[in-house]
Amino acid sequence: MSETLLRSKKFIVGLAIVIAIAMIGIIGPYLTRDPLKENWNAVAQPPDSDYLLGTTVLGEDVLAQLCTGIRNSLEVGVLAGGLGTLIAVLFGALGAYKGGWADEISSFVTNVMIVFPMIPLLLIVSELTQQRSLMLVGLLIALFYWPWAARSIRSQVLSLREREFVDLARLSGMRDATTVVTEVLPNMLAYIIMVFILLAGGGMLAEAGISMLGVGPSNSVTLGQMLFHAMNETITPYWWGVWWWFIPPGIVLTFFLSAVFVMHAGMNELFNPRLRRE
Amino acid sequence: MRRRTRDLLHNRFAAFVAKKVVFYLIVAFVAMTFVFFITHLMPGNPVDRMIASLTSGGPGGGQTYLKLKAQLMDYFGLNKPLFEQYLIFWRELFTLNLGPSYPINYPQSVLSIIILRLPYTLAIVIPVLLLSFFLGNWIGAKAAYAGGKRSELVYFFSVFSNRLPSFWFGMVLVFVFAGVLKIFPGYGLASLGTMSSWKLSYFLDVLEHYSLPFITLFIIYVGGWATGMRSMVTHEMDSGYVRYSEQLGFRKNKLMSYAERNAILPQVTGLNLQLNALIGETAILEIIFGWPGIGKMMFDAVGADDYMLIFGGFMVIMVVVILGNFLIDILYGFIDPRIRTGGRQ
Repeated sequence: MSETLLRSKKFIVGLAIVIAIAMIGIIGPYLTRDPLKENWNAVAQPPDSDYLLGTTVLGEDVLAQLCTGIRNSLEVGVLAGGLGTLIAVLFGALGAYKGGWADEISSFVTNVMIVFPMIPLLLIVSELTQQRSLMLVGLLIALFYWPWAARSIRSQVLSLREREFVDLARLSGMRDATTVVTEVLPNMLAYIIMVFILLAGGGMLAEAGISMLGVGPSNSVTLGQMLFHAMNETITPYWWGVWWWFIPPGIVLTFFLSAVFVMHAGMNELFNPRLRRE
Repeated sequence: MRRRTRDLLHNRFAAFVAKKVVFYLIVAFVAMTFVFFITHLMPGNPVDRMIASLTSGGPGGGQTYLKLKAQLMDYFGLNKPLFEQYLIFWRELFTLNLGPSYPINYPQSVLSIIILRLPYTLAIVIPVLLLSFFLGNWIGAKAAYAGGKRSELVYFFSVFSNRLPSFWFGMVLVFVFAGVLKIFPGYGLASLGTMSSWKLSYFLDVLEHYSLPFITLFIIYVGGWATGMRSMVTHEMDSGYVRYSEQLGFRKNKLMSYAERNAILPQVTGLNLQLNALIGETAILEIIFGWPGIGKMMFDAVGADDYMLIFGGFMVIMVVVILGNFLIDILYGFIDPRIRTGGRQ
C-alpha cells in the first residue's frame, strides 16, 4: 500500500504540507514564548526581529500563539476525526454488512443526521455547556460530523461484502461483527484512513467556526480562538491595523485543509477503481 | 376517481414526492425533539443564568432571589413534568408561539424578531447557492473540455478557493477592500446614520454593504462546484458511450451535452450538502460583516443568554434547511428521467 501511495504526486505534496504544519504544532510551543504572557511594553507591534509575527493588542507573541494554536487545533481535529471515524464505521459498516433492517435503520439515522445544520446545532449545544475543554469541543464536533463519512463507508462495504473471502469467513461460521472487523475493514483501511484525515481537517475548521461564534474551547489558544480574539478584542476594528494577528491562523488553516484535500484526491485516484488511471 | 387514485399510486414521481415529505417530517420531528431534550436535560437551569446575568454576578440567595426564580420557572413552565413540557412545546410550535425574547428585547416576541431577520439571511444564501452553482459548473465543464494545463490550473484554483475558511476569507476581504483600499464598507447593513427607506440611494447603500459577504461566499462556492464538475465531466468524456458516439461521428457539441447531462446529476445531489454547509457559514459571516440576519441574531442572543431567541433561531434555520432540501430533492426528481417518467405507461 505504501509503495503505491508514494507514486501519487498529489498524495506526497499533501502529506508533506500536513507533516510540516503538524511539526510546527508539536515542536513549536517548546521553542517560543508563553503564548498568553502579556508584555505591555510591546502592544500591537508589527512583525520585527524580536517578535517574528508581531504582538497582539495585549502584547502577546503571535508566533507563540500560532504554534500553540496549531497544536490545540490539531488536538481537537484528531479527536473529532478519530471519534467521528469510529461512529461512521459503526453506522456505515455494520449496518451495510448485515443488510436488511440493520442497514435500513443505520442508513436512515445517517440520512436524518446529514440534514441537520451542524454549525447552529453546535452553537446551541456549546452554549449550554459553560466550560468547554478541547476534549469536549472535539467530542461535540465528532458527534455531528460523521454522517457523510458513514454514507461513503457504507457504499464501500456494500461492494466489499460480495467478495469471496468475505463469503469464506461467513461460511466458516465467523460472527458478523468479527467478520467486519477482521475481514472487511482491513481491506478498506486506506479508505478509512482517508475518512479520518478528512474528518480531522473538517474538525479543525469546525472548531474555528464555532470559536468565531463565541462558543469555542474556553481558556485555550486555538486557531479559531486567535481569529475570534483578533476580531473582538481590539479597540479599533481589526481591519484598521493588526493584520499580523488574524492573517497567519487563516493561512495555516487554508494550507492544511488544501493539503488534506489534495492527499485525499491522490488516494482516491489510486484506490477508487472508478477514477483510477492506468 | 378510483382510477385517478390508482394512477397516482402507480406514478413513481408522486410516490417519490410522498416519500420525501414523510422523510423530512421525521427529520423535523427528530431535530426538534433532540433540541428540546438536550436543552431540558442539561445541567444548569436557564432561569439561574438569566437571573445571574440580571444581577451581574452569582445566583445570590435570599427571599427575593427565590421568589424571582419561582416566578420565572412558573412563567416559562419549567416546573411542570418533563413530558408535559414536551407536549406544550409542540403545541406552542404549531401555533407559532415561540415566546418572548428574554432579556435582550423583552416585550417583543421571538417570531416577530425572526421575521425581520430572516430575509437578510435568505438574501445571501439563495443567490450564492444558485449563482455559484451555475458559474462553478460552467467553469468546471469548460476546464474539463480544455484539458491539459488549463484544466490543471482551474483544478488548483478551485480546490484552493473552496478550502478557504469562509470567516477568515471574509476578514481578509474586509481588511483589503474596506481597510486598505476603502472601496467597500466592511460592517453593517447600511452606513451609520442612514434611516431605512424606499429611496434608491438607501438601496444602493445596502447593496454596497451586501457586496463583500456575497463575494466571500460566492468565490468559495464557485470553487467547490468547479472542482466537482471538472472531475465528473472528465470522467464522462472518458467513458464508453461518449467514445462510441465519437466513433459514430457525433459532433463535439452533442457529445458535450450528453456528458454534461450525466455529470450534472451528482452535482444536483450535492446541492443538499452545500445548502446545509452554506447556512452555517452564512451565520458566521453575518457576525463578521455585521449583517443583521439570523446568524448575527443568534450570536447576540448567545452573548445575552437569550434562550428563547437561540431556540427560535435554530428552529427557523431547521425550517429553511428542510424546505430547501425538499425543493432540491423535487428538482432532482424532475431532472433525473428515471424518477420523472418511471411507472407511466
